[in-house]
Amino acid sequence: MGMTMGDTQAAVAEKAGIGPMTARSAEGLNAARISIRGLDFFYGTNKALKSISLDVPEKQVTGMIGPSGCGKSTLLRVLNRMYDLYPGQRATGEVMMDGQNIIAPGIDLNQLRSRIGMVFQKPTPFPMSIYDNIAFGVKLHERLSKSAMDERVEWSLTRAALWGEVKDRLNASATGLSGGQQQRLCIARTIATRPEVILLDEPTSALDPISTLKIEELIDELKHEFTIVIVTHNMQQAARCADQVAFFFIGELVEVGPAAQIFTSPRQKRTQEYITGRFG
Amino acid sequence: MASETAEHIIKSFEGELKRLSALLTEMGGLVESEVAAACEAVLSRDADEATRALETDPKVDALERDVEQFVIRLLALRQPMAQDLRQIVASLKITGDLERIGDYAANVAKRSIVLSQFTLPFSLTGLSNMSRLVQENLKTVIDAVGEGDAEKAVDVWRSDANVDEIYNALFRELITYMMEDPRNITPCTHLLFIAKNLERIGDHATNIAETVYYAVKGEALSGSRPKGDTSAYAVVRSARE
Repeated sequence: MGMTMGDTQAAVAEKAGIGPMTARSAEGLNAARISIRGLDFFYGTNKALKSISLDVPEKQVTGMIGPSGCGKSTLLRVLNRMYDLYPGQRATGEVMMDGQNIIAPGIDLNQLRSRIGMVFQKPTPFPMSIYDNIAFGVKLHERLSKSAMDERVEWSLTRAALWGEVKDRLNASATGLSGGQQQRLCIARTIATRPEVILLDEPTSALDPISTLKIEELIDELKHEFTIVIVTHNMQQAARCADQVAFFFIGELVEVGPAAQIFTSPRQKRTQEYITGRFG
Repeated sequence: MASETAEHIIKSFEGELKRLSALLTEMGGLVESEVAAACEAVLSRDADEATRALETDPKVDALERDVEQFVIRLLALRQPMAQDLRQIVASLKITGDLERIGDYAANVAKRSIVLSQFTLPFSLTGLSNMSRLVQENLKTVIDAVGEGDAEKAVDVWRSDANVDEIYNALFRELITYMMEDPRNITPCTHLLFIAKNLERIGDHATNIAETVYYAVKGEALSGSRPKGDTSAYAVVRSARE
């Protein structure tokens, strides 16, 4: 392997091409990009999240797991204020990003959502061309020349590992793409506005296994540039993709830790029972 | 290793884990009786016991293959996590240790047959003590495997230093007999190997103890392993030198 006994862990990591970009904790997690503290969330009078505190490490993948109704998707919706679209839903506490509490009133939601992009469970291509699907969101935030927009479209599609498959038919309708391609298009659309954080809500649950692996490979690539939070029902997917895993149960964050620790030696009994399929 | 938590939602997986545990218990029982027969063969000069040990060994080897195949199947089909993963991987390691223990016991049995052709002008008290302690540790660790008992595992882990101590004393004793009379060299050499085999059996029991501890607790046994085999550095000089 060309590594000598004297190599430090950091040196080994560097040789393997996984040198840290930011300060890392002893557990291999980067410094927080988003810090959640004491977050409560209400659907009307129903408390769906109870005093959540969680750090989302920068340029790494945080996987959120837990049974249906545990609050993981709700937390994702809090992170880009999706809940603002619905009356009667409110969040209290702190979700800090760059010294700003993003759930406080007075935050520019359009700007927030361009910094924190979201991809949904089912691919949601707009009924327009592949090119326009990408350009649409960009136009809301930036004025780009035709050539700059062409570049941005190519950049986004390349990063979403779709460019090679669609470059000769950018003007074809996006709805003609396969499910897996549509989902990668949605990821391309999300990264086109150059967000800092990408939220993925069960992005592969409607896809076949090979398309799923392509998306997972893509997540692995994207984490070099973006901070990623993924909600998944697929435990193996969380194990494959995530650096940090958070387990939620009935609105509470039960346990959070490096993926390897959560899946080999979880500290909480409820985590253990859930991930080994003993819940009941 | 028994689990202390609720049952699996998928009952067939629960059944498979129980079967894995049962296979290990069966293998552990066989190895225990193989070691007992081998020790008895040496201490009582009993060729029948030696034969019994040698006949048990292939069954142990076959069980190891069964466990290995079963583990690979479980890993591929069930993609286990957390304690299930630890139990399954631990089973793979334990089956390897048990198989090695069986090999050492078979070797002891073979040597007992040669040994029985010599009259020994000294007693085998030291070896008898050593074999008792090793068998105790083996029994305890196999119980620990079956019951998923980390405390028993720790007991065995600590106790291995005693085995090493007896082995070191035996090593010096046997060399002394060889110096006294060259006719002792052949039986004493066999006895040395027998003692070394028993010492190795103790080490594998300790390996198993560490594996059980990890499987149950999810963390490695902390602290350095109590090691006491210093025979590699031992020098025994005759009085005339």
